[in-house]
Amino acid sequence: MDFIKRAFLYVTKKRGKSALLFIILLVIATFVLTGLSIEKATRVTQDNLRYALGGEFEMAPDYSESNPYYKMETDEEGNFTIDTKMPVTQEIIDKVMETAGVESYDGMSQCLVSTNLDVIPGTVPVKDKYRDRVYGRFVTGTENSSFFRGGIMKLIEGSHVPADGGHVAVISKALAEKNGLRIGDSITLTVDGGDKTEIKIIGLFEVLKQEQAYTNVNSFDKLENQIFSGLQAYQELMSDSAAGYQNVVFGVDDPAQLDEIVAGLKQNDTIDWRAFKVETNNKTYQAAAAPLEKFQTLITTVLILIVAVSAVVLSLILTMWAKSRIHETGVLLSIGFRKGAVIGQYLAEVLMIAVFAFGLSFFSSNLIAGQIGNSLLQAQVQSGEEQTAPQEDNGLQIKMKDEAKQDNVVINDNGDGGESIQKNASVEPLNVAIGLDNMARLYLIGFAIIILSVGISSASVMRLKPREILSKMS
Amino acid sequence: MAVLETKEVFYSYAKENNILSDVNALFETGRMYAILGPSGSGKTTLLSLLGGLDSPTKGEILFNGENIAGRGLEYHRRHHVSLIFQSYNLIDYMTPVENVNLTAQQDALPVLKRLGLSAEEAKRNVLKLSGGQQQRVAIARTLASGAPFILADEPTGNLDEDTAAEITGILKESAYELDKCVIVVTHSSELAKQADIVLKLKRGKLLSVR
Repeated sequence: MDFIKRAFLYVTKKRGKSALLFIILLVIATFVLTGLSIEKATRVTQDNLRYALGGEFEMAPDYSESNPYYKMETDEEGNFTIDTKMPVTQEIIDKVMETAGVESYDGMSQCLVSTNLDVIPGTVPVKDKYRDRVYGRFVTGTENSSFFRGGIMKLIEGSHVPADGGHVAVISKALAEKNGLRIGDSITLTVDGGDKTEIKIIGLFEVLKQEQAYTNVNSFDKLENQIFSGLQAYQELMSDSAAGYQNVVFGVDDPAQLDEIVAGLKQNDTIDWRAFKVETNNKTYQAAAAPLEKFQTLITTVLILIVAVSAVVLSLILTMWAKSRIHETGVLLSIGFRKGAVIGQYLAEVLMIAVFAFGLSFFSSNLIAGQIGNSLLQAQVQSGEEQTAPQEDNGLQIKMKDEAKQDNVVINDNGDGGESIQKNASVEPLNVAIGLDNMARLYLIGFAIIILSVGISSASVMRLKPREILSKMS
Repeated sequence: MAVLETKEVFYSYAKENNILSDVNALFETGRMYAILGPSGSGKTTLLSLLGGLDSPTKGEILFNGENIAGRGLEYHRRHHVSLIFQSYNLIDYMTPVENVNLTAQQDALPVLKRLGLSAEEAKRNVLKLSGGQQQRVAIARTLASGAPFILADEPTGNLDEDTAAEITGILKESAYELDKCVIVVTHSSELAKQADIVLKLKRGKLLSVR
């Protein structure tokens, strides 16, 4: 009689013990499968987050003495201007875009321009000389601009300023209505030096959010007064300067690889890096990923503990049972069965029960895995919020998506007249699914635990000689 | 004819006096042997060595002239010998048929019937059988295994007089009709009387009585 048949006889005839072992294995399998599924869901969510949030680095002229192209001029009144002979040109942008992992760019130059328009007043009074001035923003297309991409503005009529620019403009519908302008009309922009350019309105936008930082603003900072155009228009206004952008923000596909991508970019010696500074920004990703990373570490630790505790518990139970079966072991050895065949029978018995217990754990884990996973993650996120509360004035907030507010973009005044756009990152609830791959991993881990446990539990009996076992029997 | 032989066999536990001392004996198929001796004389130890359940401290156990350690004691237990114990040593969750099938080289049911079990009893759990019936199952397991040597340790110790006589008869019959060698360790002088050869162990030394 082979060991499989003996194992089958034992499992079917010792129903009480088999049922008890079935319950123990079901509990173990449910814990392991739940842990595996949550761990996998966390990994998938992390990956999704990486690609959803992306990362970026900003390339801008280095306005310092270390830049050989830098120049500073002071006029008779003591006003000074700083400039560079080497801004970020389209040629440089094209070179950067050849770098692996870089997938988009958003270039912009900006300056205060005089208009022949009646601008929308701000809440802070300005000198007469600035009364008709607004910010002209000369971009590598408005569609890619962070203002539009970030949901601050929305094109509601006409078309975007194209990536290759031109003498075209997109202005706010409010500004257009106030001045009786329509798509197809032209406006003239002038700068202090007297240079001017005429641009044709091709699109109208509306401001979706009046940001907190802008509740008290002067007229030229007001979002409704911003005029978007292309680099050619800027070039006509700044005829003394080299053609290029004051800063370009490059988007990368994987924020986790941001530093490596920038390091690789700096190996490109066709760009004179003395002229530029590069600043990376994957704070949004890092802030959003941090609770997930901590959560994954927690889950992995818990999973290891579950496996270890399961192995110990199972070993103890099987050891007790092995001792209670010393009679059977002695008989089998005395009639010529090898120790391996006896252990094989005991192993086969547990495996037979485990096959069914593990299969049933698919349903029990399905019932609890999602709830446990999201409860633990929510606790982790809340714990992270409490720890990072003092830093929240940076505008970065991490929340579970179902409790994140609609306004997930914050504009901060960065203190130098410009502003930065900061996203609020929301952590997606885990989509915990018990997949076939997790079932396969469960069977693998479960069988390993069982083999280990049966080995440990059998060792105490199997190291004895058959005669010693038989004398213990008597 | 198969032969099982002990050659200058010693057995002792560490730093203790010899349990067996220079034991030389030869057992042949077609005969029934009885080993007598007081408690602690080494009877069961000798049977364990012959059955390959343990190894001698010194000396050899030979099966047909070949040291049983050569092919392994498991092989010896599986193919050359079959053991019967005072406490039957059946697997408690199996039926008689299943117990016999553990080692059977032939159909179990005819063997069990020949030893007096009905078809219904042969399919009952062994714990639901009487002591005599359980010992018959144990004997059936040894007979069905095809092993030429049957080693029995107090096979009638737990049985009443009539049943013991029946079991003794079966063992004797096995020796003569099935050409088995039956070696019985016993205190029972009645059982010893049935043996062809009686050996006596005294303080580890083997003496031939008849």
